[in-house]
Amino acid sequence: MTRAFVLFAHPVRDSFSAALHQAVVETLAARDWEVDDCNLHAEDFQPILTEEERRNYHEEPGNIQPVIEYVNRLRRADAMILVFPVWIYGFPAILKGFFDRVCVPGVAFRLENGRVAPNLQNIRKLAAVTTYGGTRLRALGVFDPPRRIVTGAVRFYCQPDKMRYLALYDMNRIGPNRREAFLARVKREMAAL
Amino acid sequence: MKALVVYCHPNPASFTAAVLDVVIEELTVVGAEYRIVDLYSEAFQPILRSTELEFYLDSQRNRNFVANHAGNIEWCDTLIFVYPTWWYGLPALLKGWLDRVMLPGLAFHMPDEGKRSIRPGLGHIHRFGAFTTCGASWAWTQFVGAPGKMTLLRGLRPLCGFSTRTVFAAHYRMDTSTTKSRTLHLAKVRRKMKRLLN
Repeated sequence: MTRAFVLFAHPVRDSFSAALHQAVVETLAARDWEVDDCNLHAEDFQPILTEEERRNYHEEPGNIQPVIEYVNRLRRADAMILVFPVWIYGFPAILKGFFDRVCVPGVAFRLENGRVAPNLQNIRKLAAVTTYGGTRLRALGVFDPPRRIVTGAVRFYCQPDKMRYLALYDMNRIGPNRREAFLARVKREMAAL
Repeated sequence: MKALVVYCHPNPASFTAAVLDVVIEELTVVGAEYRIVDLYSEAFQPILRSTELEFYLDSQRNRNFVANHAGNIEWCDTLIFVYPTWWYGLPALLKGWLDRVMLPGLAFHMPDEGKRSIRPGLGHIHRFGAFTTCGASWAWTQFVGAPGKMTLLRGLRPLCGFSTRTVFAAHYRMDTSTTKSRTLHLAKVRRKMKRLLN
């Protein structure tokens, strides 16, 4: 059975992000995948890397102790799906903090002679489902940080067989039809991931 | 000159703290008024919560949650960030400061019928600086698209005026830095600061 780790980061229950999150979880569950649904706000995730964590950042394996449960959930996963809104051109702080604190050396990557090597190859399928307030062009003007981090860094660390970056742009202006179409697309893509 | 320095590092003995010292020295040399926002020291809460998001588009009330920070933004004409780059981007704490403080009606104005895109709100900021350190090499940082640098220089900086003077400096491969490389970098920060302030 495929075990999916769904990482969700939106605080509002009736938001469009929450609808996307629900669609992801339900579609994967309908495929008989085992879904570990990690709702960062609901779990009250603490995103700030502490002074002690920073000091021990490179001290493997002790560096994972403060976040060991999240590390275990990540290591159990065969698939990872990130569901988040883009705020100020990037991840919401609560999701950025998950990378800062949980995806440390020895978890997401290894450092070999000063070079990074992938260390999350248990994740064979990687996907992001996200929404942007602005247009694609506007995001490109900033080099689209969340897209580059997912399709560049995270993809490199996982080396997945399949990777999808599903983004709905221009949320500030588009109407319900395009939102519905995107929701349908997300369901299709999750059924085929 | 009124400078707002946003500083984000948990360790007071870090190299980033040394960079901050240089920034402050140079501000002092030119007699600038300055305020330091030390996000770790003040235990800034970086999570934009549902109660706040509810008022996000209400430009009269959205800043009430972060009134001091919004006041600092309106007060300053010079904005400087001093931070480490983690996971190619801004530390969560600093990203959360942007999420919560760079609000519509303050940092930018939302699109309306006449305007298709957001409009700048930081026209009063005439100098913009960012100083950071990266564990990764320059090349690998470029491969990932330099998300932290781009968020500030291509995302935030355009909310200021076209003529806003801008400087940036990063020490790459921080984990294999030497006394010499760090000394050279501090000298570079000092040069960039002089260029920013003169």
